[in-house]
Amino acid sequence: MTHPIRRRLDAGDDPQAAERGLASLVLTIVELLRELMERQALRRVEEGTVTDEQAERLGCTLMRLDERMNELVEEFGLEREDLNLDLGPLGTLLPKE
Amino acid sequence: MTHEGVWVYAIADHAGGDVFLPAGVAGTLVRAMTAGGLTALASNVDLAEFGEAALRRNLENLAWLEEVARAHHDVVHAAAGLFPVLPARFATVYHGDASMAAAFAERGDQLRAALARVGGRMEWGVKVYALPIERGAEQVATRSAEPGAGMAYLKRRQSEISAKRQSSRTAVASAREVHVGLSGHAASTRLYPPQAPALSGTKDPMLLNAAYLLDAGGAARFASVVADAAAAHPDLRLDLTGPWPPYSFAGQEA
Amino acid sequence: MAAVLVRRAGSLTGAACGRVPAELPRDFPAERVALVDLLDRVLAEGVVVTGEITLSIADVDLVTVSLRALLASVSTLNRQEGR
Repeated sequence: MTHPIRRRLDAGDDPQAAERGLASLVLTIVELLRELMERQALRRVEEGTVTDEQAERLGCTLMRLDERMNELVEEFGLEREDLNLDLGPLGTLLPKE
Repeated sequence: MTHEGVWVYAIADHAGGDVFLPAGVAGTLVRAMTAGGLTALASNVDLAEFGEAALRRNLENLAWLEEVARAHHDVVHAAAGLFPVLPARFATVYHGDASMAAAFAERGDQLRAALARVGGRMEWGVKVYALPIERGAEQVATRSAEPGAGMAYLKRRQSEISAKRQSSRTAVASAREVHVGLSGHAASTRLYPPQAPALSGTKDPMLLNAAYLLDAGGAARFASVVADAAAAHPDLRLDLTGPWPPYSFAGQEA
Repeated sequence: MAAVLVRRAGSLTGAACGRVPAELPRDFPAERVALVDLLDRVLAEGVVVTGEITLSIADVDLVTVSLRALLASVSTLNRQEGR
């Protein structure tokens, strides 16, 4: 079932709000990718298809990405939870696990 | 000359006589029309606004929908406080009294049965939310440069994810338990899809959105049952709304 | 928490069947229900419309959703519950 989902960017009187709206949209995509990468990495570590060294490198990269997300989110006056893209009645894009 | 239709609010078990109700949709007068032992609460409406084509257009306009839905609800709710009612399906518009009477005559037995089933009963809504779990409250002093930091991060994320999954399963099971418990105190129940955060107005995920049909006079006891359920499940937040006219049960088969 | 139905007693004069006295306040009953909860109930029986609506609730502009998707999700759930 396809349906148009758009986030309303309210430029209005507050250009910062528009910037924040745009930032949250972009960061949401980034966060989605980060989370998908993280899940895949965890799965591979669980399955044992990566060496300890690879796991260590993956972990460091992901950790740094996670830290960077915190920084970016703070820069735009957002919170990590704001990045959960809401599809309305169909639930959130990033599962609450 | 405007073309008039008839907007129906509800079928009432009411012999006739004075009826004091708020104004209806588009500020119209609400009247009671008795036919075949059934009383319909209805308003004359302009088909330019309430005809089929116009409705399709207007129902897409949330401002219009809100105003009309609230006006409709005000009438149904007021009526339900006066006598047993069977709420009509929202946006039921006939082309005239005659066609309304004919439709009621045709479905008279069904309507009477439905009215007997829900008339005099009110519904109460319960929404159950999962209370938030803190994400990784442990801002561990693991610095990126430390050896083994990557592995430690992965392990931490793994246990966070399992913990969340587990608490989510627990919360869902809790909500189900609450629903089963409350259903035992109701004549009938109906589930609605949980409202997304954008609609519910809270970030806490909604786990249950249910309507419970109660006998007249059952409200106080139900409220205390809900309070007990809330106390028994500290991982959940329960939200009780009501009384509602029995909207959620008007369309069901006996 | 729960709304209590308050019947307004008052000196409402008798009128012909169904006539509405002007004194009855527009926002009767006293407590205003949440629009989403009301729409859950009144839209539940399959009012079929298409198109987009913008939900503005509590003065916050949120995502634009398709009303059809909203209604479709309602009917899906009802089917799942065997109704």
